[in-house]
Amino acid sequence: MTCWMLAEASGETPFEARFESIGAFLPEHRVTTRELMATTKHHTRIDLERLTGIREHREANPTESSLSLAIAAARDCLSRSRYTGADLDVVIDASITRYVEGTTYQFEPPLSMAIKRAIGAAQATSFDISNACAGMLTGVFLLNDMIRRGTIRRGMVVSGERITGLGTNAARSIRSILSPQLASLTLGDGAAAVIVDRASAPGIRLAGFTTLAEHSRLCLGLPGFHHSGANMYTRARKIHEVAMAEGPPLLEEILERGGIHLGDIDWLIPHQTSVRAIRSGEKILAEKMCEHPRHVVVTVDEYGNTASTTLFLALHHHLAEHQFKRGDKILLLSVASGLEIGVVLLEMDELEATHGSVH
Amino acid sequence: MGACIEAAATSTRRGMLIHRGAVHLADDAAETCLSRAHHDADDLDLLINTGIYKDRNTAEPALASIIQEDVGANVGGPAQIGHHGTFSFDLLNGGAGFVTAAHVADGFVASGTARLAMIVASDADPSPRTSRNYPFKPAGGAVMIAPGKLGFQRFVIRTFPEDAALFESRLVWDAHAGFRGHNVVEIREAPAFADHAVEHAASTAREVLADAAIRADQVDVLVTSQYPHGFGLRVARALGIPDDRLPYVPAPLRGVHTAGPIGALESALTTRRFAHARHVLFVTAGAGITIGVAWYRGWE
Repeated sequence: MTCWMLAEASGETPFEARFESIGAFLPEHRVTTRELMATTKHHTRIDLERLTGIREHREANPTESSLSLAIAAARDCLSRSRYTGADLDVVIDASITRYVEGTTYQFEPPLSMAIKRAIGAAQATSFDISNACAGMLTGVFLLNDMIRRGTIRRGMVVSGERITGLGTNAARSIRSILSPQLASLTLGDGAAAVIVDRASAPGIRLAGFTTLAEHSRLCLGLPGFHHSGANMYTRARKIHEVAMAEGPPLLEEILERGGIHLGDIDWLIPHQTSVRAIRSGEKILAEKMCEHPRHVVVTVDEYGNTASTTLFLALHHHLAEHQFKRGDKILLLSVASGLEIGVVLLEMDELEATHGSVH
Repeated sequence: MGACIEAAATSTRRGMLIHRGAVHLADDAAETCLSRAHHDADDLDLLINTGIYKDRNTAEPALASIIQEDVGANVGGPAQIGHHGTFSFDLLNGGAGFVTAAHVADGFVASGTARLAMIVASDADPSPRTSRNYPFKPAGGAVMIAPGKLGFQRFVIRTFPEDAALFESRLVWDAHAGFRGHNVVEIREAPAFADHAVEHAASTAREVLADAAIRADQVDVLVTSQYPHGFGLRVARALGIPDDRLPYVPAPLRGVHTAGPIGALESALTTRRFAHARHVLFVTAGAGITIGVAWYRGWE
């Protein structure tokens, strides 16, 4: 028995799965944390940059939406891929923000429909996933299962997050460091996409998810009552405490199932909430597991917390900088509202050689 | 190994004065479903919610994780190595959400990645005083899926993007609503939506039946969406499936959204028609237009 719903590269399924291409799109406009904090209605005395380590983030322009960002990332992903849109069997959108224009949020049809039309994947099965910041990794978990069973040959998971409006709304009410909307000021806009395809050797060595649902209400994102856009209310300290208390034994369990130690991991890419949270988590993991990964990836200082896309923007960033070597073991770790914990263990293959420069 | 349906349950609002939102409707249906399937909530490996219209239009977390907490599936203590866990997430594909989620759950159960999966669907108008043209009755539904010999055989999920504009549902900011403005649920349904949904559903279902070499009169039970109104009967007649193969659906479950097919399934299960059926056809439709069809085999 295990806490995890788990897919292992065991050779028991007919096929293996790998990451074939990673795409990204970041809006050009950069906003520093100092500039953002200058917009708060009340004098807060919060040094958010010191508190989080976030120097800046990107903000979409008024003509860009969650949908348009996602389409741009999907196109970037295809531009680096051997496949065209028509080759995709499945397209999954995992955006939390589902804005199609301005602050107009679309319930139906699913955003994945518009995305697959835009990239010429008309024949692909499509649907959306909502799983907070673990959405993209959840999509990968699903595609991995479908590919390993032979149901499909390849699919794309894509997400566009136009989420900085939550920070704009939060800036009107935040008075102190104790505000439940403080985490909204750490958000950044961005989009990412990944193509997962059938492989002869396992690129995805291990994939698992579990939901610690007794903490399901620690972070809520919902539309504003008397203003446009949305608000996010987060008990950030409690989430961090839970993640630090429950994360290490869970990680130990899944790595044991995969026959690998934390010390064997070359790159740990955790969900990017703040530099301080990542460094604190790194320290606690090392203390509790008595070993540590070779590198822990941080991009939140540059991009902010881009919600469901953080892991894939970080992967894209490091691929573009040619930091990975073939054979490197990369652990993607989602910690998201729910409380969702997700893990995908990759072994780097030709992806590192075929990737181009960052946008 | 296949993935079979063990139980189904629905819940509806009882009385006009009691406001029960999407979470309560989902919780009630999920608890009844667990009870009917004789499973403990802790046995669940996977919980997928397919409902679209949630209380206060909550965008995060996934409603599935809240349902997981409410039904008590592996909650209440720190995770321990070797203990069981549950994974929950929301899958959104409008009226075709149930069949799409069944496709995903079938895969995980058939591969042994999960042993027990529950699909939950619930929708309730998040803001009845301000919503515009919200057409769906409030209801929740839940279906239990477990390993079995036969079960789901084939899934086809198809979209017809040329008809995407026939049904659009959005949350829009209206500065003139109320005293200080409101975010308003606004649904635009073209008169042609129902006709096109039936047409596309029938063509997709015909293809599934042809691939499976099943004649229309061999379909013992036809489980369909309950929206648009009259969808099931029109699809049955378009396919040449006798009307009596449609399970009776009580009035409170006619016109519900993502839980619609679960209402029909529950009826087929409680009347034992499902247990005696050799071939069950699921035909669902939603905005997009998205059609989800599944062929389910009860016995050899």
